[in-house]
Amino acid sequence: MALKEIRDMLDKKEISVVELTEAYLDKINKRDKKINSYITVCQENALEDAKKAQDRINAGLSDAFTGIPISVKDNICTLGVKTTCASRMLEDFIPPYDATVMEKLKKSGIVMLGKTNMDEFAMGGSSQTSYFGGVKNPYDTDRVTGGSSGGAAASVAAGLCAAALGSDTGGSVRQPASFCGVTGLKPTYGAVSRWGLIAFASSLDQIGVIAKSAEDTGYLLNGIYGYDKNDATSSKKSEGDYTSLVGSNITGLKVGVPKEFFGDGLNDEVKAAVLNAVEYYKKLGCEIVDVSLPGLEYAVSAYYLISSAEAASNLSRFDGIKYGLRSGLGEDYSDLIKNSRREGFGNEVKRRIMLGNYALCSGYYDAYYRNATRIRTQLRNEYKEIFEKCDVMLTPTAPTTAYKIGEQENDPVKMYLADIYTVTVNIAGLPAISTTCGYDSNGMPIGMSLIGKSFDEKTLIAVCDRFERDFDRKEAAL
Amino acid sequence: MFNAELTKHLAELSKIEFTEEELQKMTDDMTDIIAIMDKVCEFDTSKPPYALDAVDYNDLRADEHADSYPTDKITSNAKNVKNNSFVVPKVV
Repeated sequence: MALKEIRDMLDKKEISVVELTEAYLDKINKRDKKINSYITVCQENALEDAKKAQDRINAGLSDAFTGIPISVKDNICTLGVKTTCASRMLEDFIPPYDATVMEKLKKSGIVMLGKTNMDEFAMGGSSQTSYFGGVKNPYDTDRVTGGSSGGAAASVAAGLCAAALGSDTGGSVRQPASFCGVTGLKPTYGAVSRWGLIAFASSLDQIGVIAKSAEDTGYLLNGIYGYDKNDATSSKKSEGDYTSLVGSNITGLKVGVPKEFFGDGLNDEVKAAVLNAVEYYKKLGCEIVDVSLPGLEYAVSAYYLISSAEAASNLSRFDGIKYGLRSGLGEDYSDLIKNSRREGFGNEVKRRIMLGNYALCSGYYDAYYRNATRIRTQLRNEYKEIFEKCDVMLTPTAPTTAYKIGEQENDPVKMYLADIYTVTVNIAGLPAISTTCGYDSNGMPIGMSLIGKSFDEKTLIAVCDRFERDFDRKEAAL
Repeated sequence: MFNAELTKHLAELSKIEFTEEELQKMTDDMTDIIAIMDKVCEFDTSKPPYALDAVDYNDLRADEHADSYPTDKITSNAKNVKNNSFVVPKVV
């Protein structure tokens, strides 16, 4: 059910917020054992929030999110509710404050059903590196959900929430949305405050939205966007009203198709489905424009060097002293820190920290980190040129559909290379949305991405919505 | 060339303790990972200027006095606290 339909039903009192919340909690209790999409289920808090929301509706003070039940990725700080980042390091961490996005949504009366599972510290594309066990795909529980917001995407796909908040540093909203057959929106860098999002790579991180449709992602984005004095990188450029272009005529819109995204390494079924979507837009009267992003060949390495360098710095705060796991080993100060980090971090997090320090350390900095920043500038310039020729760009979201658990997530190189189609968006700070455009021969969803100009989420949502209206989406049979 | 010595150096910079066995595994992993990172070294560095920091800080707030979080909240997640202070092993 669409978020605006839920809003309508609640306001007309066709269902109470408590009934709706109980229905979701009941589903979570019955079904989530199969997919492990939640780390924490907020049974009591959710019902309390639901009662307050109902009082508000009864008093005629209903707002856009009053009584809407959502899930929240477990790297977004929630006052008084455990926020673990799916890490042993933060197994018991209870934030003393709310992230700005949560403050905004709570003011509007949202109901938070729980905190969703993810790759540890959002570092991964499978959601299998979680300290609390991997997430399983609702379309086939032998397969991964993608990541790092795998719990968020799975919770939406399985109907265990109305919509979800995730985060996207290199594709972590879009790729799991693609693998789980739902819609994922990564807003422009700066459109949404990062205050209270546990930092991974600060120049790339962005809180995003996962829902059943493009229109729903816009609906939820309306509740979280905007400048925040607590985040110096947040922007005043966002205008809101993200669903205002939904339903408008897109004839004549220029859709760019970059040749580099359709070469070797792209699965044939994925390629066919995405090219079908190109045809769909052509038939609608859109102009298809050939564009080129030659810097794509450098994108994965530049992304991993920049994000890991930032992660090495951001994660240095985890010393076992102020918060997080504190080792019982270590006689002196330095040993205490080293042992706490040894015990608290999983292998992938350790690899990223090591890679980041490699990129930054004396003797390697110029060749690796500095060159990666040169590539970032190059990619930004290439995107600028592309958007002089077109309004949106259409690409596959991932080279494959969801693969079997255990098939590749233990091979870091394979995992890194699979991020090829999503990382340039973060490097360039652009908005992008992924939606389902087909199903492969195993019945697994295929995702396509629309990439847009900075702060032009409205167009992306409208163009994506147009496709979704004519697409026969299949629900996961969990 | 990545080797065990470099892994030890990075482990020290990263403040992470490894066993000998873990160090070997990390050396193997990092060797494979650096092989794909080497791609950036092929980039034409004669290209025009670039920005080390890609973030625009256009909307900085004014410096204003505000209350800090209460100490009990700040220390509420620490494992060892005494007299409103974090307890650490003796340094000097």
